[in-house]
Formats: sequence, C-alpha cells, structure tokens
Amino acid sequence: MIERQIIHTDILIIGGGTAGCMAAVEAREKFPQYKVAILEKAHIDRSGCLAGGMNAINAYLNKGETPESFVRYVRSDSCGLIREDLVKSMSELFEYCVKKVESWGLPILCDDKGDYVPRGRWNIKINGESLKPILSRAARSSGAKVYNWLVVTNLLTDGNRVTGAVGFSLRNGKFYVVHAKAVLIATGGAAGLYRPNNTGDASHKTWYSPYNTGAGYAMGIRAGAEMTSYEMRYVAIRTKDAIAPTGTIALGAGAPQVNAKGDRFMVTRYKDIGGDGAPTPYRAHGPIQEIKEGRGPVYLDTRGIGADKVKDLKKAYLDMYPSQVLYWLANDIDPATEPVEIQTTEPYVVGGHCQAGYWVDEGRRTTLKGLYAAGDVAGGAPFKFVSGCWAEGVLAARTMGEDLSKIGEAAVSEEQIAREEARAFNAFKNHEKGMRGIPPVDMEARLQKIMEQYAGGASTYYEMNAEMLEIARKKLSSLPSETQDLVADDLHQLMKAHEIIDRVDVAQVLVEHMAYRKETRWPTYHTRTDFPERDDANWLKFVNSVRDPKSGTIKMMTRPYEQLVPGDRYKP
Amino acid sequence: MPVWVDPEKCNGCYNSRQPPCVRMCPGDLIVKDYSVNKAYLKYPEDCWDCLPCIKACPEEAIEFHLSYQLGSKGAKLVPHVHKTRDFITWEAVDNSGNEERFKIRTKVLKIDLDEQIEDGAEGLDFSI
Repeated sequence: MIERQIIHTDILIIGGGTAGCMAAVEAREKFPQYKVAILEKAHIDRSGCLAGGMNAINAYLNKGETPESFVRYVRSDSCGLIREDLVKSMSELFEYCVKKVESWGLPILCDDKGDYVPRGRWNIKINGESLKPILSRAARSSGAKVYNWLVVTNLLTDGNRVTGAVGFSLRNGKFYVVHAKAVLIATGGAAGLYRPNNTGDASHKTWYSPYNTGAGYAMGIRAGAEMTSYEMRYVAIRTKDAIAPTGTIALGAGAPQVNAKGDRFMVTRYKDIGGDGAPTPYRAHGPIQEIKEGRGPVYLDTRGIGADKVKDLKKAYLDMYPSQVLYWLANDIDPATEPVEIQTTEPYVVGGHCQAGYWVDEGRRTTLKGLYAAGDVAGGAPFKFVSGCWAEGVLAARTMGEDLSKIGEAAVSEEQIAREEARAFNAFKNHEKGMRGIPPVDMEARLQKIMEQYAGGASTYYEMNAEMLEIARKKLSSLPSETQDLVADDLHQLMKAHEIIDRVDVAQVLVEHMAYRKETRWPTYHTRTDFPERDDANWLKFVNSVRDPKSGTIKMMTRPYEQLVPGDRYKP
Repeated sequence: MPVWVDPEKCNGCYNSRQPPCVRMCPGDLIVKDYSVNKAYLKYPEDCWDCLPCIKACPEEAIEFHLSYQLGSKGAKLVPHVHKTRDFITWEAVDNSGNEERFKIRTKVLKIDLDEQIEDGAEGLDFSI
C-alpha cells in the first residue's frame, strides 16, 4: 500500500529552476493572499541548468539597446521566424529581473560609475557560482512551500482544464497528489533524446543539464496542450570533449574559428550572412560542413593570446565550467600555443535557446485552462537564456495572479488519482512481481540509437530526409507500449523510468515536427536534405502539434507569423 | 570516475541522514552508506561534472578528476572555499604534479549538515 500525501495550493509551480524560482517570488510579492507550492525533482538549491553556476547574463539590454532592437536581433539570429510578441515582452523585464537578483546578492561586474560592464552586445558579466542558491533562497523566503526530491509524473486534468499534478517522493516513496487552481510548468527542456558526445562515465558530460529530461513537455503532450517548433532543435558548439562553452574564448579572448588549414571559414564561406556574426544555427552548421567535407578538425585559434589572457580564461572557466581547465591540465594543453578544438553537441529540444515548447499567449497561458509555461519549456521565444527565463516566470506569475480570482479549485476524481498512482509506480510494481522487464538504461539506448541514426543525429551531420524520418517514426512507434515493461528496483530507478517515458513522448512529437516542415530554415538544427532551401513563400509560419489525449494521435497544424517590429527580418 | 569521495577524509557529516553532497547533487547520484557512515558516488555514468557536491563538502573530501577517456589521471582540481565565503581558491594540478592556484571572487552560501525533506514539514521518514 502506497501512502498518499494530499496538498492543496492556489499556485503550483512544477520545477524550481530559473523560471520557477522567479515566478514564486513574483507571485508571493504581488499576490500575498495566494499559497504557492514548488515541486522540485532535486534539491532547489542546486537543481536544473544553473546547478554549476554561470559567469554571464547573456540576454540584457545594454546602454543604447531597446526591446525593438532586441527583437530585430533575435529575429535575424533565428532566421526570420520568432514570436515577436513573446520576445519583446520578455526583454522588457530583463532589467527588472537582473536588478532584483542583484539585490539578493548576485555579484555583477560594474564600472566606476556603477554601470554593468558589457561582455558582448547583449551580455553582462557576473560572479555566478551561487546564482542558483541565491535564487532558491529568495523563493523559499518568499513564503512559497518547497517540496524537494519530488518527481512529477503527470498533470491532473478535467477535460481541457488542468487541476493539479501528481508524483512521488524520491526520499519517502509517498505518492503526492497536488490540487491547484493554477499550474505553472517550468521544468526546462529535454536532453538525452540523442546519443551524447562521450560514453561511459562521461556520457552525461553534456551541454544541457542531463537531468532536464523533457518532463514538462511530455506532461503537456499527454494532456493535449498545443506545442510549437520542436523541429528547431538546438545544437551547441562546444570545446572538444570537455563540452565547455566557447563564448568564453571567442568573446573573452577574441579567438576566431579556423579549420585544419587555418582558414577562417566563417569569414570566407559565410560572408554574405554575417561571417563570424552569422545567425547561431550557421555558426554550428559552418564547422560541421568543414568536418564533413574533410577540412577538420575545427578550432578556436587561441595561439598567441599571451599568459595573462590564458590566466583570465582559466579563471572565467573555473567560475562556470571548471572541467575545461581540468581538461587542459590532463592533456598538457596550453591554449597560448595550441588552438582549442571545438565540436558540436547532440541535438536538444530547448525553448530557451531555440523555440520548442508550449504555444503560449503573451501572459504565458498555454492552450489548456489553468496551465501556464515559462522558461525553456515555453515555446516561440528563443534567446531567453537565464534572464529571459526569469522574465517569463514573472510574466506567468502576474497572469496567474490575475486569473486566479476567476478560477476555483476543480474536483478530481478518485478514479483518475488511482490510475495515476498505478502509472507512477508501475515500473516499481513490475520489479516486485519479479518481471524480467526493461531497465530504463536499455530503453534510453534504444531511443538514442533510433534518434541518432534516423532523426538527424551527429553521425549523419544532423541531416535528415522524409525516408529517414519515416523509419524513425516506425521504430519509435513500439516504444510507448513497451514502457509498460520498464522495471525499477528503487526510487532512483523509478525516476529514471519516468525520464525515459517522458523522452519517448517528446521524441515522437519531435519527429513529427521535423517531418512536417518541408524546408531548411535552421541548418543543422533542422537540415532537410530533400528540402535544402529556406522557403518563405510556404513556410514562414509556425509548425504546431496537439496529441489527442484519448487516441494518442499527433495532429499537426500551422500558425501564422506576425511581424510587429518593422524592418528586414534577416538583418539584425 | 569524475567525482570521487575520499573515504579517508569523509566523516559522513557525523549523524547527518543526508549530508550536503547528497542533497546538492542535482542528479540524485550520491548516497550515504549508513553502515560505514560515508558518502559515495553511486552512479558515476550519470555525473554532469557540475561540482556543487565538492563545494558543499565541509571536509574537502571530494576530488574532481577527468573521466579517463578524456585525459590522463594525474591532473586534478580542488576548490578551497574561503572562511569568509566570498572567494574560492582553486588548486589546479597537472599530470606532472605542478600546481597553480587561482583566487576567484564569488559568493558561496553556507549549507547545513542536514535538513528535512520538506520545508517546515514534520514527522517524515528519511529512510530510502
């Protein structure tokens, strides 16, 4: 018999990360009459993308910039197609959020006059080792109730209305039933859909947090929420093996990308679209073409930068991504005499860098009543990074507060709760019954093999065509029913079982999106070899999907693009 | 193994049910073996190399090495959090044992040796 814990709250925030913490604070400050609960899979002090710290805020309006100039930049960087209303509304809150976090104790680098020191056009420098605990403590002291180690397995629904969520505790094994009037999904994006760069004990040395496994996407998919732009995957350029950020070197030391022959290929081959400043997809696409066509490896040319700059680089990495420094030490590399090799990562689905996620309105309402989305799980607004996730948390909190007066708590049937309880603990029960089922790690390998080989993985240079995607679709189709046979011998493995269940649901929707958009707008993120060109006449629109909660059929549709900020969509 | 708890230095944070390294791992990968009163990385293949565990350890008992597939074994990084909690000095050792130190301004928040699983909740069972 599994013990139940019943919770009633006004606002439920699923995911205590960048967006979730900020949403909790905003909700408690603006609407102190409402109870706020946060369900967090790990411990809120060190969960999600910010666990290891950050050394920059990469979306900020430095002096002279405006929300309009930001929209123009993000639009051109995303190859002419974004939700301009969403990008504009988040950028209007960058300053509000950054100042707030600074007031909580985040050190931000300032000049003599007290102005933030720009690190690039949209970037400022921070000493952000403790960015996450700073956020979490603000969230906790706001009066929000935090439930750590709570793995949320599904939303509770009543038709088109979301009424709460269920999950289990990694620590006490109880089944949690949370009744809420408004639910904010802030669970981040999805890693682990494709094979990672490294294997063995380095297999989780990934760009994106490997613990962000698409839970929020999957819960929405299962509940019938409308999703957008999954086909705009994200592929990061990182340092080889260490998978550390390259901006630290490119911006910090002014090092250009070169191929094996020393050719600055972005300048020579991509001059007409901005060279080194080409839109982000092309900055991943460029190096891949060099490697594919036999001109690799590809490097950031740090030779001759001098000992002081090397020391600065090491300090910058130690503040954010220490393993790059360890990699240099363990491989006897001095970046002043040897260029830094770079590579691309496996593809991710993430709405903070690209725009995969829930289809939301400006208030961050999803298409399901009572359900809101913020941060990497929300779609249509790329270039969010940390500050954009904060801004969306604020926007969602304000909307929820305003909507709450009109929403009552809905009744949830015992039948639904019992069904969810059985679903949540199924892999555990299989183990207890002695079933020789499927360990989560085996299904992960199966999923990643299919995605890697037929859905545009790194081994095919991220390329795909209709035939490959059809194979991926067919091979994936047997997995959802086989998730019934997953086995878990403890609560940690039960979490792993749900992570793979969620990723299978996300992967199926991803494949449908990639098959539906018959153009190549974002090379590498979505390279269609059968439709290799951008096609504004037919595809300047959003590809959206809804999975029918009853039949499980994924229905594809399009939504129009609206230009709000005038100007050439391909010029920053 | 990317993160390694030195059993000679780990004291299990005395009678803590969930020492800081266990609580701060975002992947739920570190567990405490109560029979020997020491923590260890149970799932090395799932480690992200994000290091909150190392910085949270009050005994400086956790070492950060690169996975062997990515480089040789001799090198290591050890962060020393200053008592004032506003600097970390990183001890960086290369394969030949040469040491370099980097002092970095930051802010490291103090972490309690133990805490209950829900804020303010009482009477919950901590057993796993």
